[in-house]
Amino acid sequence: MSDAIAIDDYLAQGGVLTSPDNVPPRYRGELLRLMSSFVDSQLAGSAGFAASINFAPGIKARIAASRITLEKADHAERVLALMGAFGTDTGRYQAQHDWAARVDRDADLGAVRHGNDMRLSVFHYPITGWTDAVAMNVLMGLATGVQLSELSRVSYAPLAEVFREIAPREARHAELGLEGLERIAAAEAGRGGARASLAYWRPRVAATFGVAGSARYDTLRRLGLRHTPNEALLAEWERTVTDRLAPLGLD
Amino acid sequence: MARFHSLEVVDVRRETRDAVVVTLKPRAEDAAAFDFTQGQYLTFRRDFDGEELRRSYSICAGKDEGCLKVGIKKVEGGAFSTWANENLSSGDILEAMPPMGKFFLPLAPELDRHYLGFAGGSGITPLLSIIKTVLAREPKSRFTLVYANRQISSIMFREELEDLKNLYLGRLSVLHVLESEAQEIDLFTGRIDAEKMEGLFKHWIDATSVDTAFICGPEPMMLAIAAALREHGLSDAQIKFELFASGQPGRAKAKAVSANVAANGAGTTATVTLDGATRSFHIPREGQSLLDAALAASLDAPYACKAGVCSTCRAKVLEGEVEMAVNHALEDYEVRAGYVLTCQCFPLTEKLVVTYDE
Repeated sequence: MSDAIAIDDYLAQGGVLTSPDNVPPRYRGELLRLMSSFVDSQLAGSAGFAASINFAPGIKARIAASRITLEKADHAERVLALMGAFGTDTGRYQAQHDWAARVDRDADLGAVRHGNDMRLSVFHYPITGWTDAVAMNVLMGLATGVQLSELSRVSYAPLAEVFREIAPREARHAELGLEGLERIAAAEAGRGGARASLAYWRPRVAATFGVAGSARYDTLRRLGLRHTPNEALLAEWERTVTDRLAPLGLD
Repeated sequence: MARFHSLEVVDVRRETRDAVVVTLKPRAEDAAAFDFTQGQYLTFRRDFDGEELRRSYSICAGKDEGCLKVGIKKVEGGAFSTWANENLSSGDILEAMPPMGKFFLPLAPELDRHYLGFAGGSGITPLLSIIKTVLAREPKSRFTLVYANRQISSIMFREELEDLKNLYLGRLSVLHVLESEAQEIDLFTGRIDAEKMEGLFKHWIDATSVDTAFICGPEPMMLAIAAALREHGLSDAQIKFELFASGQPGRAKAKAVSANVAANGAGTTATVTLDGATRSFHIPREGQSLLDAALAASLDAPYACKAGVCSTCRAKVLEGEVEMAVNHALEDYEVRAGYVLTCQCFPLTEKLVVTYDE
């Protein structure tokens, strides 16, 4: 049983890597990039949500917002710990950027990264109030659900495991958002504000799925770091959003 | 960052013709750091002709054995495994990082689990650790091991597995599959492939009863097994892989040296290899990092923090010299081997040859 196959073939056939020692160079670069983007997005998301705690209309909402803020930071820490095994200086990394920094509300970044961190562009936009925070959290929470079911299959086993562990908690964040949105949408006045915020965030969250026909996707698919094309994930998210918002009279 | 500690070799036992089992003892102050979980591995380092090599070997001891043991099988052309098999003896000191790896399921003494393990050759080492620990710590659980080897004489831990079967009567079953030795049952002769997996599921293993499967062996074997497990209804979360040494290079290459330092402001001609393709471009004398120059030349070079912290942009300098402004991510041995963080690299020579593919 001593025959070996090229690591590229192994990955293309659904093989799984298990430690920094058996990761080839290009894979290493793409994997660290993927982890870095996740860590930065979670830290920026947590930092953005921290301010929303004070927008909360009541104690339950305050607890929900605090929990989301806390757990997103915890998720970032778990993935950053994996980066540490590749040589990343985790202590310096977390202090590297201003995670709370935001651009103007009406800036247009598209899907392009901005500044020096790797957060998804949606996490550069500021949240303006409680309804806005809830709307963003619902849309991004549902997107995270779709993204995590994709990422739970990544070929780097330790990362896939972390994603599988945190997926239920991220799903709970989206549920908390939907519960909040339901309360907001119960009154006509709330519905108007919710519609405006959903309309603001929807294209920005959609942009996090990346472009259709992405060349990077092909690279990542060969490495087993991706399995479903951007456009298919986007379509799945759009279906889910429609399904969940329609009963609230918001779609 | 993980650090290396000294471990004393207290025993070297020959297990088969080309494999040894090494028993190690950490210093008293390091005991807690080396308190492993079943299925984890140790990473060793040693200098060979001035070149540092690092190799990982799975721990084969159970949690209750009160010691650290690793199994090292000699790999053809492998500097570390050959040295360990031929030269290592009691009293030697080995340098190792604390145990790492996630090839295990957290123990749950109250549960009644069915574990399924697949080992190819020396892939038995982490599985042996899991088997010993699980059978001792989860009294209601059972373990089925499918163990592939070339022939009887190359089976590592054959007697120990027999002893475990007797000790935990009815809770451990071992199916030996031998590549080049005929057995009474045809199914157990040959290599583990899709067909053999079907046979195993048909006659010997009830896939629906399996909680988690562990696979450690050569890549083609792991692929065939994982595919069959998925086909029989196991989810990715129920299948744990441990890939061992074959992906590791035999011997690190020496760093190329060229001291043709650029004297004036002519800039640098950089030749960069990425994904097997090589491109040349010009870097102006001042101010532009190698990474930025590569990106400006439309190369899809990997990067993330651009601050010398994350190590995403690591590459190897094959010719020429660079200066690294900041390095928080690479270890000394990587730097000595020629690795650089391209986001922090500024060329010092007129010619620079760099690869992201090593």
